[in-house]
Amino acid sequence: MKHGQEFKLDGLLGLIPFALVAMVWWIIPQTMEYPQYMLPPIQDVVQRYFEIIQDGSLLKHTLASLRKLTIGFGIGSVFAIIVGVSIASSKRVSEYLSPVLTFLQSIAGVAWIPLAIIWFGSGTNAVLFVIINTIFFSCINNVVTGVQQIPSVLRRAALSNGASPLQILFNLTLPGAFVQLIVGFRTSLAFGWRALVAGEMIASAKGLGYMTLEAVQWYQTATVMSGMITIGVLWLLLDRLFFKKIEDATVIRWGVLKR
Amino acid sequence: MEKGLAVTNTSSNLVGLSKLEKISSSLFKKSIGIILLLIFWQISVPLINLESYFYPAPYDVWLAFIDLLYKGILHSYILDSAGRYLLGLVTGVSLALFLGVLIALNKKIAKALLPLINFLFAIVEVAWIPLFVMWFGYGLTTIVVALTYVAFFPMLFNTMSGIQTIPAVYINAAKTLGASPFMLIFQVYLPSAMPQILTGLRASAGFTFRGLIFSEMIAAKSGIGFLIFEGSTNQQTARTIVGMICMGLAWIFLDLFYIKSIEKATVERWGMLKTAESVS
Repeated sequence: MKHGQEFKLDGLLGLIPFALVAMVWWIIPQTMEYPQYMLPPIQDVVQRYFEIIQDGSLLKHTLASLRKLTIGFGIGSVFAIIVGVSIASSKRVSEYLSPVLTFLQSIAGVAWIPLAIIWFGSGTNAVLFVIINTIFFSCINNVVTGVQQIPSVLRRAALSNGASPLQILFNLTLPGAFVQLIVGFRTSLAFGWRALVAGEMIASAKGLGYMTLEAVQWYQTATVMSGMITIGVLWLLLDRLFFKKIEDATVIRWGVLKR
Repeated sequence: MEKGLAVTNTSSNLVGLSKLEKISSSLFKKSIGIILLLIFWQISVPLINLESYFYPAPYDVWLAFIDLLYKGILHSYILDSAGRYLLGLVTGVSLALFLGVLIALNKKIAKALLPLINFLFAIVEVAWIPLFVMWFGYGLTTIVVALTYVAFFPMLFNTMSGIQTIPAVYINAAKTLGASPFMLIFQVYLPSAMPQILTGLRASAGFTFRGLIFSEMIAAKSGIGFLIFEGSTNQQTARTIVGMICMGLAWIFLDLFYIKSIEKATVERWGMLKTAESVS
């Protein structure tokens, strides 16, 4: 009982800064003189938000962004697992390749946008390339270290009991490296999300990033802000509802990772 | 087990070898992958046989590098980027350290501010850049504000959790010995939270570095990010690749020589790295 009450109170406390921001935002346009495009009144932004919800453009751009993210994350992470597991199985190969991977990891992401435009033309494919690249290189090191951390005793035990390579992969390697995989995927999704928005701003004609930067040219600050808020809300939903749930259901329940 | 074998093997082999040779053999091992990659890339160029702006050879990239160096463009760009990076990182990280301590020490403030902070963190800096451009125009201010914004959050979260996970015994001990709040902060909170704070610094440095490249693409007329972007719009792809390589090397350099050495000089020397691992 008491706990529930406290929780409610905390929620209310957390609303205060939001209310303050909204109030300041409401007062400034009425009391100060400045070009309208710098900070449109809060009611304009709310109105604009409803407009783009009603004409379906917000939904269209959001779906376009999510589609790219899903495809990019899917392909990138599957590639990372395949390549990472095969690299990790040989000590020598991983020794030789790790400097290359470290280097490519350090340039993964937005820096590939210009090259992607040259190779794939401006559009969805260029953005997809950038996301896949980002996801792949951001998490491959985690895959490799995760697999290498599995004690070799376990592997030998499985082998001497006659496990097939596939059985080893699904019953030993992937579960054994799971904690590292989840950590890697989570950070790579954070980088991938940034790369997606950035890529759409520069190389696409669809998606939330495009919608946001495009509006700058027409001085439609209300649209810019609507885009930003949507980007924020989407990310919170992705991170909290998706990754945190997976973490809670697996590594935290197993007690390997504590929060 | 394999590791143990390998160590005994090399140590028995290397008894007669000097330290220099040891280092050079590890350097050789490390560079072999990169050398192979370069050879593979150079060979693939005539095989694929595309326009050089579409798929430049390593040799073209080398020529572009020499050209940029000779004209003095490259080092002025690197200096510009470094200045912006440092300005943004230092501002963001110091703000975060200050606010992080404040928030961690007061539960009421933490509960009030955290939802807003989480929401702002979710609006990634990339999404702020259009608005910053409208507010501050194209140029230094926009970039530094954006970088401050990026650097702020990882540092803030790590500082907070670092301070919140300090065992209460330490704090109580210091208090019963009559430590002032000032002493408490500088002699208990900050040193005990140092491993987490450094993790935060590292994460901040990494995100800020990517933020730098992107904000320079959109809002600058110089710098490494601008070089990468400009090269591709002029079909000077070799220049784009020079920029990308500079970016990668700069980050590796930064990570190895600065961030890791700060870690060595502090937490590793104090013997606190183990606690850092068990916490995170």
